[in-house]
Amino acid sequence: MRHTAGTLLVGLAVVAAGIAVAMLRVNPYLYFAGYVILQYVVIATAWNILGGYGGYVNFGTPAFFALGAYTAVVLIQWIRAPLPVLLLAGGLVSALLGLGIGYLTLRLRGVFFSIATLALSIVLQTMIMNWDYVGGSRGLSVLRPSGPPFGNYVVFLFTVMVALAVGAVTVARFIERSWIGRGLSALRDNEEAAECMGVPTLRLKLFATTVSGFLLGVAGAPFPYYVTFVEPNSAFAIDYAVNALAMPMIGGTTSWIGPVIGAVLLGSAQQLATVTISSEMNLFIVGVVLVAFVVLAPEGILGLVRRLRGR
Amino acid sequence: MNRPRALIGIVVATLVLIAAVGLIPVARAADPIRIGLGMALTGGLSANGKPALLAMQIWKDEINKKGGLLGRPVELIYYDDQTNPATVPGIYTKLLDVDKVDLVVSGYGTNLIAPLMPIAIERKLTVIGVFGLANNEKYKYPNYFQISPTGPDPATSTATGFFELAAKQTPKPQTVAIVGADAEYPQTALVGAREIIKHHGFKTVYDKTYPPSTVDYTPIVRAIKATNPDILFVASYPPDSVGMLRAAHEVGLQPKIMGGGMVGLQFTTIMNSMGSKLNGIVNYDYWVPEKTMMFPGIAEFFKEYQPRATKEGVDTLGYYLPPYAYAAMQILGDAVTTTKGLDQQKIADHIRSHEFSTIVGKVKFGKNGEWAKGRTLMVQYQKVQDGNIEQFRQPGKKPVLYPEELKSGNIIYPYSAALK
Repeated sequence: MRHTAGTLLVGLAVVAAGIAVAMLRVNPYLYFAGYVILQYVVIATAWNILGGYGGYVNFGTPAFFALGAYTAVVLIQWIRAPLPVLLLAGGLVSALLGLGIGYLTLRLRGVFFSIATLALSIVLQTMIMNWDYVGGSRGLSVLRPSGPPFGNYVVFLFTVMVALAVGAVTVARFIERSWIGRGLSALRDNEEAAECMGVPTLRLKLFATTVSGFLLGVAGAPFPYYVTFVEPNSAFAIDYAVNALAMPMIGGTTSWIGPVIGAVLLGSAQQLATVTISSEMNLFIVGVVLVAFVVLAPEGILGLVRRLRGR
Repeated sequence: MNRPRALIGIVVATLVLIAAVGLIPVARAADPIRIGLGMALTGGLSANGKPALLAMQIWKDEINKKGGLLGRPVELIYYDDQTNPATVPGIYTKLLDVDKVDLVVSGYGTNLIAPLMPIAIERKLTVIGVFGLANNEKYKYPNYFQISPTGPDPATSTATGFFELAAKQTPKPQTVAIVGADAEYPQTALVGAREIIKHHGFKTVYDKTYPPSTVDYTPIVRAIKATNPDILFVASYPPDSVGMLRAAHEVGLQPKIMGGGMVGLQFTTIMNSMGSKLNGIVNYDYWVPEKTMMFPGIAEFFKEYQPRATKEGVDTLGYYLPPYAYAAMQILGDAVTTTKGLDQQKIADHIRSHEFSTIVGKVKFGKNGEWAKGRTLMVQYQKVQDGNIEQFRQPGKKPVLYPEELKSGNIIYPYSAALK
């Protein structure tokens, strides 16, 4: 109980800090960079629920993310729905996809599951490309609503993202600490053994794909208002798949803080590289860092810290 | 045990975030006029983004040699948008708020201009778009201008000239096939083509699109061949332009007139690699080294551009995008000089109400910031040989067939005659 209260308190403090940053109206670029980094915190955390705890590597992150974004586009086009509705709807639709994919593909193990999720991304992208209502392959410009809180829409989106990040991390932490997390880690280590021990593996896996899908969809829902122009190639960008995997790997997949550390470090490095060195360096950095970590610190920064502490 | 660690984690994370952003601001000299842009230097559009940037740099160097604008040197600040629209809002915010640029120009291409529009509108900026198709149709923002000569109706700009040419031939072709990629530009061009086809009363026998990731174009070309069209209008991006053309030669597809909206055939590397396969194709273009296109200053521009492009390994001839990127800067510079300041509104008012003499001719903007009168050329590749890049520097390889006032040669009709 004390743990939960503490978590809640820390969470609220971070949200409050986010709002304070928003009120400060520091350099607007900070909000842009911050938004992207926080968005990756959500994505990495969501990915880690299935990939880190459960050991099912999902390459279809762009599919879930883009589905959230495109659900938002549909609702904006249709009834100009407010942002909370977009977030909820984007999350739910992606959760549904997660559940469906879970049913269809979780009989596939290891690399076959990963390939199936990769294919999912391509199938979904092709469908979106041929759907004119959401802009099809030409893309669609989205007009932001006028008069947002904090006087600026990006600042508003930034605070929303802070809240989402805190929410996602809280959910991940809860899962990790509960029997669900223990069940997932059991099935990561040995699925047959877990099943024999009475762990409801299918239900757990479905739960993980659904929650992971929900969070990825939520991360994608504000995307149309952030870029104001949605087209399939950027919504389904491979960067999301690579980063979603690299960030938890770098931070450490076994704990909720791992993806957060990874997302903040890698996200900031990428933002810096884009505007200072050159963006060709962008994915290169991810690649080098990822290889370095896989070779030198397979358990990420967390594992490294633990090793140094001699645990 | 875990709570302190979590707290430390959050604190560290916040510090890193702040440090990351805090590092970015650079010392700012008060003197130069700063012009900011994002440009595709990597990714799908980089083959054109790099030459465009080079053209802008040439303008900057020349203007600085002449003493700059308003007596201040000009500085270009640019970032790579990676051909990814999602990077554009961040890049321009950085340019405006951290680098404090005085003026902005767009990156290259419709998709990269689109995310810039709301920023420009919100901050009341004057923006010159570089080769965007109908970006302003939704916003109707008065301070947006677009430099490619597609004219007030961008969707029909390629189809108009192509079908007008086709309609003039004897015997008049009757049937038409249209095909294009499932992507932004081709889709728009096909919509325009359908409209123009209806206007001319041709009979459509084939109207389909293909996914941009297509590798083998022979099935598509075979399907078109089976309908035996007199006219084939293709709206494609560089990879599929090459794919379609190769497949057409392989299958022996020979309509009476073919081409229209094939992006990429204007690029040096593609012209060089396709060689004689280009013969007979009637395609849109924006500039060719024909007598009728020799506007004041353009020869000097290429004299400067071509050696630098060769050195930097970008589009060596640079006939497609660079002169227009340069012209965009000319217009911006001219507006700054004439209005004697950096007031966005005054600059926009000036650009809207004046005609400019640029290296691509006289430019006057009209509806939605597009050229008041379109000037999309139709050219035909004639007597092109294989593996000779020098031939394209001379007039005669791509004579202008349309519009009438810039005409510099005659069409070889039908297509099969041009192959001989």
